[in-house]
Amino acid sequence: MLMLLAVFVPILAGVLVLALKNLKENRGVLTGCFTAVLAAEAVLVILAVMGGGSVTLWKLTDTITLGLKIDKVGSLFAVLTSVMWLLAGIHSTSYMKHEHDEQRFYGFYLIVVGVLAGLDFSADLITMYVFYEMMTLTSLPLVLHELTKEAIHAGLKYLFYSVAGAFLALFGIFFLANVCGNLQFTAGGVVTPDMIAGKEGLLLFAVFAMIVGFGTKAGMFPLHGWLPTAHPVAPAPASAVLSGVITKAGVIAIIRVVYFIVGPVMIRGTWVQYAWMVLALLTVFMGSMLAYREKVMKKRFAYSTVSQVSYVLFGLSLLEPTAFVGALCHVVFHSVIKDALFLFAGAVIVRTGWTRIEQLRGLGRIMPKALAFYTLAALALIGIPPASGFVSKWYLATGSLASGTGALGFIGPVILLISALLTAGYLLPIMIQGYFPGQDFDGQEIKERGLEGKEPEPAMLVPIGILGIASLLLGCFPGPLIAFARSVAEMVL
Amino acid sequence: MSFVQNFPFFSIIIAMFSGIVSAVISGKKARNLSIFAIGVTTCMSAAVLAYTWKTGESYTYMMGHFPAPWGNEIRAGVLEGLTALMFGVVMLLSVMGGLDHTEKDVEGSKLNLFYIMIDLMLSSLLALVYTNDLFTAYVFVEINTIAGCGLIMIRQWGRSLSAAIRYMVMSSLGSGLFLIGLSLLYDVTGQLLMIPAKEAVAQLAATDAYVIPMLVILAVISVGLAIKSGLYPFHYWIPDTYAYATPAASAVLSGLVSKGYIFLLIKILYRVMSPEHLMESYTLDVLYWFGIAGMMMGSIHAIQEKDTGRMIAYSSVAQIGYIYMGIGLGTQAGTTAAIFHIFSHGATKALLFISAVGLYEASGGERDYLSLRGAGYRNPLAAIGFTVGAMSMVGFPMLSGFISKLLFATSAFENTGKLLPTLIALAISTTLNAVYFLRLVISLYRPEKRKVDEVHRDSWNLRLAVVCFILLNLVLGLFSQPIVRAIGQGLIMFS
Repeated sequence: MLMLLAVFVPILAGVLVLALKNLKENRGVLTGCFTAVLAAEAVLVILAVMGGGSVTLWKLTDTITLGLKIDKVGSLFAVLTSVMWLLAGIHSTSYMKHEHDEQRFYGFYLIVVGVLAGLDFSADLITMYVFYEMMTLTSLPLVLHELTKEAIHAGLKYLFYSVAGAFLALFGIFFLANVCGNLQFTAGGVVTPDMIAGKEGLLLFAVFAMIVGFGTKAGMFPLHGWLPTAHPVAPAPASAVLSGVITKAGVIAIIRVVYFIVGPVMIRGTWVQYAWMVLALLTVFMGSMLAYREKVMKKRFAYSTVSQVSYVLFGLSLLEPTAFVGALCHVVFHSVIKDALFLFAGAVIVRTGWTRIEQLRGLGRIMPKALAFYTLAALALIGIPPASGFVSKWYLATGSLASGTGALGFIGPVILLISALLTAGYLLPIMIQGYFPGQDFDGQEIKERGLEGKEPEPAMLVPIGILGIASLLLGCFPGPLIAFARSVAEMVL
Repeated sequence: MSFVQNFPFFSIIIAMFSGIVSAVISGKKARNLSIFAIGVTTCMSAAVLAYTWKTGESYTYMMGHFPAPWGNEIRAGVLEGLTALMFGVVMLLSVMGGLDHTEKDVEGSKLNLFYIMIDLMLSSLLALVYTNDLFTAYVFVEINTIAGCGLIMIRQWGRSLSAAIRYMVMSSLGSGLFLIGLSLLYDVTGQLLMIPAKEAVAQLAATDAYVIPMLVILAVISVGLAIKSGLYPFHYWIPDTYAYATPAASAVLSGLVSKGYIFLLIKILYRVMSPEHLMESYTLDVLYWFGIAGMMMGSIHAIQEKDTGRMIAYSSVAQIGYIYMGIGLGTQAGTTAAIFHIFSHGATKALLFISAVGLYEASGGERDYLSLRGAGYRNPLAAIGFTVGAMSMVGFPMLSGFISKLLFATSAFENTGKLLPTLIALAISTTLNAVYFLRLVISLYRPEKRKVDEVHRDSWNLRLAVVCFILLNLVLGLFSQPIVRAIGQGLIMFS
C-alpha cells in the first residue's frame, strides 16, 4: 500500500501542479507544496521500504502481470532517488526563480520521481519496462525546459537515443518472455540451462542487446551521444538529477536483467561479459578524456557522468561479489557527488552567469563556502581517501583483480587509475583557479559587479553543503552501506 | 435455428436498405438514418459474437435457395462477429467525429449521397467479413470500391478528385485481378462456395493436377487484394486518398476499408487454398517480405512528409506492412497478431485522423506539422487524442500498439526462419515510427511565440468520438487477453 502511495502521490501531485493554472501568482504556495510533496515522498519511500511486501497492479495478459515488490536493490535505489530528488528540489526552488515556466518544471519534476519509485519497486521486467518508458517521456520536458533551439535539439536527441535503446531492450524482453514465461525478478536469475537448450547463442545476443539498450540511459558507449548534449541544457537542478539519478535507472535496469532474470551464471565467461567489460572500460576512459578537454562547466560534468556511471557498469560486468559491492557503493557515491557538482554549477550560473571554466577564476572570493563544498565533492570523485570515491574504487579494483577474467581484469584497474588522474585533471582546476587565481588576477569584474563574498542563497547552499559533506562522510563511515551491498551480492551471486 | 443466427444477414440488408432509402430523403435525415443503421448493425454483430462464443461453433447461412456450386452463403463465427463489431464501432465513431466537417466539406444537396456511400460501405464491409462464397465476395468488393471512390470525391476539390481517380484505377486493377483469379478457380474446381471449393482444391493438391493454374490463381488473388489494401509497393494511391478526403471518410478508409480486403484475403488463404499450394507457391513468404518492405518504406516516406495528413497516411502503409508480415509468418499466432493489429490499427488510425482535424482547426486550417506548433495548448483534447494515438502506434506499453508488437514478436518465435528478420524489422520500424510521430507530438506541445488565442473547443460529437477512441485504445491495450483468445478461437473455427 505504501509503495503505491510512493509511486502515485508524486505523480498525482505533479499532474495537479500542471493542471492548476493560478498557482503562478502565488509562488510561495507553489514552492511550499512542491517541497512538502518531495519531503513526503522521501518519507513514504523510506516507510514503504521498511514495510516491504508486494502488490499486483494489473493482469495485462495471462502471462504478463504488472506488479510492484520491495527488495533490497530496489530499496537502495528508491531511497537514494527520493533523497536526491528532495535535495535538488530544494535547490530548484531558489534556482527556478530566475527561470520561466516554473510551474511546468515543478509538475514534471514531481511526476518523474513517482515514476522512478515505480521503476525501482517493479516486481518484473515488463513493469519495469513500462516505468522505464514513462521515465523517458516524463523526464523529456525537463530537458526541453528552455525551449531554445539547442534545448529542443537536445531533447529530440535524448528521445531518439532513449527510444532506440529501449526498443533494443524490448527485443530482449520479447525473447525472454518467450523463453521463460515468468519474468518475475528473482535473485540469481530465472533462466535455467534447459529452458534455452538450443538457443544459447540467441540468449547471449538478447542479453547483449538489453545491456546496450538499457546502457543508453547510463550513457554507455556506443549509445552515449545524447548525454553530454541533453544534461547540460536542462536547468541545473534537473541536470543534477538527470546525471545523478536517472542515469542510475539504466544501471538498475541492467542489474535486474543480468542478476535477477538471466543470472550471472549464464553469461560468465561468454563473449557478452567480455564485450560488456570492454565497452564499459572504453566509456570510462573516453568520458574522462572528453571531460578533460571540455571547456564548458556543465558539459564537463556531463562527460564526467559518462565516465563515472561506466565505473558502475564495469563493476557489474565483472560478475564478482567484491566488484558488485563496489558498483553499488559507486551508485550511491556518484549520485551524491554529481548532484553536488551540478547544483554547484547552478549556483554559479545564477550568481555570476559564468558557464565556461576559464571564467571561474577567483570564484573563491565570491562563494568560498560553496567552493569548499565543491572541493569536497571533487576530491571524493577523484577517489582520495578517506572521501567516498576511494572506497568504491578500491572495491572495484580488488574485485577486478579477483574476478578471474584474465587480461581484462588487470587492464581494468589500470584504466580506473588513469581515469582517476584525468578526473583530478578536470575537476581540480576549478578549485585551484577559484581560490588561487594568481598574481595577475585583479578581480576587477567581481568588484565592479559587487559580487564579493556573495554566497548562493541558503536554499541552494544548504543542499550543496549536505551533499558535499555527505560525499566525505560516506567515505569515512562506509560500513553500513558496504554491509548492505554485500548482503545483496550474496543473494545474487 | 436461433433468431440471432439471422443477424449477419439482417445487418447487411439493413445497411443496404438504409443506403437505398437515403437516396430519397434529405441530408440530415440520411445522416440520422445512417448513424442509426451503424448502431443497430453494431449491436447485432455484438449479439452474433455473444451467440457464437456461447455455442462455441460457427454456422453457415444460405441466402436465396441456390444450391452449390453457385449459391450465396454467409458464415458467422467468433472471428466474424468480433471483426464486424470492431468495424461497426470504429465506423460509428469515425462518422460521429467527422460530422461537422462532413457538413462543411460536402455540398448541402449532396449530403445524402455521402451517407449513401457510408451505408454501402458498411454493408460491403460486413459482407466481406461474413461471406462464405467467392462470388458474393467479388460483388461486395466492387460495391466497396465504388463506395470508397464516392467517399473520396464527395469533397469536390482538385486534389481529392485526382485522388479519387487514382483510387478508382488502382482499385479496379485490384478487383480485375481478383476477378480473374476467381474465374480461373471456378474453371479449375467448378465451385464458388468456400467449403466445397476447399475440398476440390485439396483434391487437386493431392493429385498434383493444375499446378500452374493454382499458382496463378493464388498469385492474382493475393496481388489483387494486396493492391486494394495498399501493400507496399502498391501504395501510391494511399497518401492522397487518405489525406485529402473529408475526415470521416479518411478515418473510415484508412481504418477499415483496406482491412476488409485483408480479412477477405486471410479467409481465402485459409478457407479455400490448400496448405500444399501455399507452401509451393511461397505466397506467404512473398507477402511477408513485401510486408517488411512496407514497414520500412512507409515509415521512411512518413518521415520525409511535412503534411500531417499525408504523414498519417504513409504510416498506414507501414501498418499494413505489419499486418502482412503477420500473415506471412504463416502460423496461427502470426495470423492472430495480424488480426489483432487490424483492430488496433483501425482504432488508432481513425483516432489520429479525427483528432488531427481538431488540431488543424485550432491552427487556422494549416496542416503541415510546423504550423501545428503549440496546437496542444489551443486544443487540448484533440492533442491528447493525437498523442495517445501516436504513442500507441509507436508501441508504448498499456496501449493497443504495444500488444500488437508483443503478439508479432512472440508469434515470430514459432517460425525460426523468420525470427530474426521479424524482430529486427519490428525494432527498426518502431524507431522510425517514433521519429515522425514523436516529432509531431513535441511540436504540438511546443509553445509558440505568437499569442495563444482562446482555447479552441470542438463540437461535442468530435470530442465524444476522440474520448471513445482513446478508451477503445486503452481497452485494446489493457484487456487484450479476451480479445486475443477470441481471435484464436475464431481461427480454429475457420478451418
